[in-house]
Amino acid sequence: MGSKDSCRTELRTAIRQLSDRCLYSASKWASEQLVGIEQDPAKFTPSHTRFQRGSSSIRRRFRTNDIPSTPAAGVSYTTTPVPEEDEIVDSDCYLLAKSYFDCREYRRAAHALRDQTGKKAVFLRCYALFLAGEKRKEEEMIELDGPLGKSDAVNHELVSLERELSAYRKSGNIDPFGLYLYGLVLKENGHEDLSRNVLVESVNSYPWNWSAWSELQSLCTTIDILNTLNLKNHWMKDFFLASAYQGLRMHSESLSKYEYLQGTFTFSNYIQAQIAKAQYSLREFEQVEVIFEELLRNDPYRVEDMDMYSNVLYAKECFSALSYLAHRVFLTDKYQPESCCIIGNYYSLKGQHEKSVVYFRRALKLNKNYLSAWTLMGHEYVEMKNIPAAIDAYRRAVDIDPCDYRAWYGLGQAYEMMCMPFYALYYFQKSVYLQPNDSRLWIAMAQCYEAEQLHMLEEAIKCYKRAANCNDREAIALHQLAKLHNELGRSEEAAFYYKKDLERMEDEDREGPNMVEALLFLATHCKAQKRFEEAEVYCTRLLDYTGPEKETAKSLLRGMRAAQSGLPSMDVEHFPP
Amino acid sequence: MAGSLKPVGAFAITPHKVSVCILLQIYAPPAQASVPFPFSSVSQHNRLGLFLLALTKSCDDILEPQLDELINQLKEIGGLLNHWLSEHLTRKLSALSSPDDLFNLFSSLRSILGGPETSILEDDQIILDPNSHLGMFLRRCLLAFNLLSFEGVCHLLTNIGTYCKEAVSSCPPYDLPDEDDSNNDLEELLEYEDMDLESFVFRKVAEEAEARKRARESATFHTHTPRSLLGLVEDIQVSADSKYKNCDGIGQGSEFLGPSHDTFRGDDHNSGLFLRTNWQVQGYLREQADLIEKHGSSFPLNAFESILKQLQKLAPELHRVHYLRYLNNLYHDDYPAALENLHCYFDYSAGAEGIDAPSSSSSFISYGNYEIALLCLGMMHCYLGHPKQSLEVLTEAVRASQQHNNDTCLAYTLTSICNLLSEIGISNATGIIASSYSPVTSIGTSLSIQQQLLVLLRRSLKRAESLKLTRLVASNRLAMAKFDLTHVKRPLLSFGPKASTKLRTCPIDVCKELRLSSYLLSEFGSDGASLTIDGAFSTAWLKNLQKPMASSVLSQENRSENGSDAFQFGSQPSSIPGYVLQLAGASYLLRATAWELFGSAPVARLNALVYATCFADGSSSADLALAYVKLIQHLAVYKGYKEAFSAMKLAEEKFLSVSKSRMQLLKLQLLHERALHRGHLKLAQQVCDEIGVLASSVTGVDLELKTEASLRHARTLLAAKQFSQKSGNAVLGLPYVLASLSFCQSFNLDLLEASATLTLAELWLSLGSNHAKRAKALIHRALPMILGHGGLELRARAFIAEAKCYLSDPNFSVLEDSEVVLDSLRQASEELEVLEYHELAAEAFYLMALIFDRLGQLEERESAASSFKDHVIALENPKDDEGLLLDSYST
Repeated sequence: MGSKDSCRTELRTAIRQLSDRCLYSASKWASEQLVGIEQDPAKFTPSHTRFQRGSSSIRRRFRTNDIPSTPAAGVSYTTTPVPEEDEIVDSDCYLLAKSYFDCREYRRAAHALRDQTGKKAVFLRCYALFLAGEKRKEEEMIELDGPLGKSDAVNHELVSLERELSAYRKSGNIDPFGLYLYGLVLKENGHEDLSRNVLVESVNSYPWNWSAWSELQSLCTTIDILNTLNLKNHWMKDFFLASAYQGLRMHSESLSKYEYLQGTFTFSNYIQAQIAKAQYSLREFEQVEVIFEELLRNDPYRVEDMDMYSNVLYAKECFSALSYLAHRVFLTDKYQPESCCIIGNYYSLKGQHEKSVVYFRRALKLNKNYLSAWTLMGHEYVEMKNIPAAIDAYRRAVDIDPCDYRAWYGLGQAYEMMCMPFYALYYFQKSVYLQPNDSRLWIAMAQCYEAEQLHMLEEAIKCYKRAANCNDREAIALHQLAKLHNELGRSEEAAFYYKKDLERMEDEDREGPNMVEALLFLATHCKAQKRFEEAEVYCTRLLDYTGPEKETAKSLLRGMRAAQSGLPSMDVEHFPP
Repeated sequence: MAGSLKPVGAFAITPHKVSVCILLQIYAPPAQASVPFPFSSVSQHNRLGLFLLALTKSCDDILEPQLDELINQLKEIGGLLNHWLSEHLTRKLSALSSPDDLFNLFSSLRSILGGPETSILEDDQIILDPNSHLGMFLRRCLLAFNLLSFEGVCHLLTNIGTYCKEAVSSCPPYDLPDEDDSNNDLEELLEYEDMDLESFVFRKVAEEAEARKRARESATFHTHTPRSLLGLVEDIQVSADSKYKNCDGIGQGSEFLGPSHDTFRGDDHNSGLFLRTNWQVQGYLREQADLIEKHGSSFPLNAFESILKQLQKLAPELHRVHYLRYLNNLYHDDYPAALENLHCYFDYSAGAEGIDAPSSSSSFISYGNYEIALLCLGMMHCYLGHPKQSLEVLTEAVRASQQHNNDTCLAYTLTSICNLLSEIGISNATGIIASSYSPVTSIGTSLSIQQQLLVLLRRSLKRAESLKLTRLVASNRLAMAKFDLTHVKRPLLSFGPKASTKLRTCPIDVCKELRLSSYLLSEFGSDGASLTIDGAFSTAWLKNLQKPMASSVLSQENRSENGSDAFQFGSQPSSIPGYVLQLAGASYLLRATAWELFGSAPVARLNALVYATCFADGSSSADLALAYVKLIQHLAVYKGYKEAFSAMKLAEEKFLSVSKSRMQLLKLQLLHERALHRGHLKLAQQVCDEIGVLASSVTGVDLELKTEASLRHARTLLAAKQFSQKSGNAVLGLPYVLASLSFCQSFNLDLLEASATLTLAELWLSLGSNHAKRAKALIHRALPMILGHGGLELRARAFIAEAKCYLSDPNFSVLEDSEVVLDSLRQASEELEVLEYHELAAEAFYLMALIFDRLGQLEERESAASSFKDHVIALENPKDDEGLLLDSYST
């Protein structure tokens, strides 16, 4: 990785160039990273760095291993020279167009640049036209919403833009920004391969445009595609890879990439949020909560990614924290899909599912491809026992992203609730295929097989075994395995799993009916196997409990003693040579 | 979005609908005489009405036609008027240059609708009945327009602009219309209109004159249009009328996807494309579903898939598309895709668009009709040969339908379980039934699967009857008949005096069961299928229009091509829905089987023939192939192999892709039979092995086929044995023949009994001449049955045996009564020559030669002797011509 200083200079120039071309979100992203670079404490007074230091102490508390900030051996970064502007002084027309653009009068902006031939002017004109088309498309989508949901509103500029930009590219008369726009247009027109190539070309010659990277990422739907990309080694590539790994559900890889990046961009909110996302996927809720608390302290008006925070708060049932968060985002910007989602979550936690649905619906009005809102709405409908609506909602989530294992799981659950376990299996299979290391999914599938209508116990055992192997937190699998084996008359296997379950319960200090059941089984089993000493241990442990088991244990003990005294020959068997 | 669905029947106003409205205005101008201005005759006027009806009803495509297509159709319809009609239409359309023009147009349309008091009609006045189909259409258009927002009106205007523009330049321009500067559009429109008006002024006078002139002549042109339609046009009349028209139309049996050529037109730009009304699209999908089920894997997968893709793009909320996609994938054996689409369809629709009309019971709102999903999934697994999964799913379906009180679905599920059980047979099913306790039957597992099936069949029949599901009752009765056919009911008493047990395999019983089913089928009209039929009629009517009159040579060719296959003459759309045809047809196939089992080949042939001729277009190609197979088998037995093979060549061409294995099997069977007859044992063995290979293909072992292969193998061996010990021990054979006789008697297998009797007679005969009389009596007893129903071989054998009887009878003198013997021998030799059964033929000629010798007719004797020699030589040196046939098979 380049030194912090070189990153800083590169970013500073890039921000200027990006905002000069009205690529605002890319410029926003770059600025966030710029201030995220740790200041050299020698050069600044403590007052400058106070804010950074304070926060980093919290962060360090949860940092598991410090990543060295030097890059791994063998990776050499190419330095990409920051391109010079082709026009030092912007023409008057360009200034006019840019101010129109800033006032969101895109067509006027394009019109103002109609005769300009400079690359920068051409880019802005095309970009303005593209946005104008998008805006019109959004409007038409509402106007043309037919009885059968006809949503064929298209950006009418795309075709002519594609033609124009491809001509520029052929003549070599195009800069990286133009390439970015060309890639975008190609993607919208469905030419994904070409679009990928063009975007790679764009980011290789100008790596600081995060928008181009994100477009590229959305085109990398498999790891193979990602690996075939011919990308120059620039530190921006690490950001890209981290994000792409996340998209491909390679969470640990993504996490390590981000932690490595944090060596340079120590205070980047973006990286923190992304780390939180990865941790969330790995179900490390405690860590996620800490990260978000810190994020909110540094950036109190942030709405982005806060829906995930609300999910964590929901899972931990933090009523007041969730309501506080909802209030805060509501005041910041209530017409953000994330805000609506947070409020929906709050109502859901309060058990007011109808209201919750209203807010999820609003979120979906604002962004109808908002995946988690569809899934969460499905959950709400399940709570309201409106299964068809729930299924519909989940299905839409699945159609937006076929890799969303939560929605598949939801579908399975919905059908299971309808007493259709065999039908539900299809959906559980789908979800478990996408997330093979999630014990909950395996357990859900096993429960389907176990259902009295199906009663396919062998299959259920297989699923529970998988669940037991992937960190089953609620420890359902072991107990069920023991029970099923017992049911099938395989007492050896049953004893094995009961013992394992017992050990686990001892480790986690859990008590309960499962404990009693395990002890009782093991006691009788050992007795039947004539392993009286072991049996005695279990029986004595059972004596600590009240209830019928205590009596059973007593009688077992009595029986064993009688057997031992009556049949001393048992000893031979007990201690085989 | 969940829960916020718009009413499905909603109706959007589009440029095409505006065109239809304009044409309606021409059809029924307010306050005009009986034949309004541009029309010269009533029939011409009616023809336009019919055309409009067909336009609003046909379901041959998902997209509305473009203006140029509409104009082309108008040309066919309008005859000499077409110029005026299309001119008027384009002029009217291009005159719509501002939103206000649209408002004016629609308010003027209102006046052509009659008021509520239409019963008081003045003579000669044309007013559209608001409750007629066209009237409703117009009213819906008016309503849809009134509901439009101003943006909506603007969009309509722009769309009309593109609609007209594309008609002018028949190849659509690459550019998309510039949405932003609508000034441009307007200017163009105005220009266009100016130009049009200019030319119009000049032309108008001349044209009017011409129209008048035409009016005088045109009466002779349209004599074939019936004048039954006067004044108001009603739906029923139309369907009757278009049927009449279709009688002289050319059938379009092989056209699956009429509009496929222009379904791709919209891939680049969707702006000018609009879906037809929901009703029409649904009708289209329903028709396609029927076609897929009928043609199976020969249905074009990808072409239809792209249509579906487009449809989904245009109507993402029309979930039926997923169902069609499921069907398409299923019949092309794409398991994962079929599964995916099935789940997708039911996730979205909750079974509300399912098999039958959605039940409006309150339980639907909270539970959906997911049991239908289970039913479909079960049938899918059954189709793909996963009996275990299928049974699991169907059991779940039974539970779900019981839980949600969906009796209809329950009845259907039971029937499909019956199908499943009867299809998978015993060997596969024992494991299933034992493993998964089925609450379906709640009969103990101790019963055999066949018994369970019978109980289930009875129950589902009863249930279907009580629910008045005519279709289901009919198909259940068919299944019952099939069950009766395939399962012989054993007499309960296995010893003691034989009570005459009545077997249900008897054709009379089967037919009784079947007759009941067809009686029920006659009540099909009640379940809403007539709507689809109506749509299909309109489609066919429009299609016939588009067939150019000039190219009659071509159509002649087509016709002769069709004619080559003699079975197909009923390819016009009929007024009976497809499923009724299918069910009724299936009953004929079953009848054929029943008679075949009974042993009456002619009646079996009759039924197969009826099936092949009358139900060819309603049936699936697999069933049709079966009927053909039966007919060809019959040909082989009664007309000899040459005819059978030539018929088979035809059939093979017809069923090129479908059920190829069935045809192959038939071919091998025929080859085997012929080889046996000719005594080519090596070849017979070879063919046997081929059948064995066919039986265990990649897809799985077909047990039935395997049995047949081994059976044939045994027959080959037996024949070989017969050859080696030609004069075998006759006494040893006797007990077997007697046993088979009594067996045949107890099973009502009359023909088999006759043939056994014949064998018995032959045995007696070989025991010596003193038994000849008894043998003769036996033969004479069996002869009526043999001559009535027997095949060539059997008849010949009977004739020869009879002749032998006479000859060996000491009381019989050849010199006195030679014709008795000669006649039967002649018959036998002729039939055997057709069969190429050299061995027996040689015997017949030998006997003939002997007789002629005795009679002193030397010339005849010589010819008989030479024939004898030919056959013996042929027997000993098999020619290699069947080697060729085999080769042609294996390549």
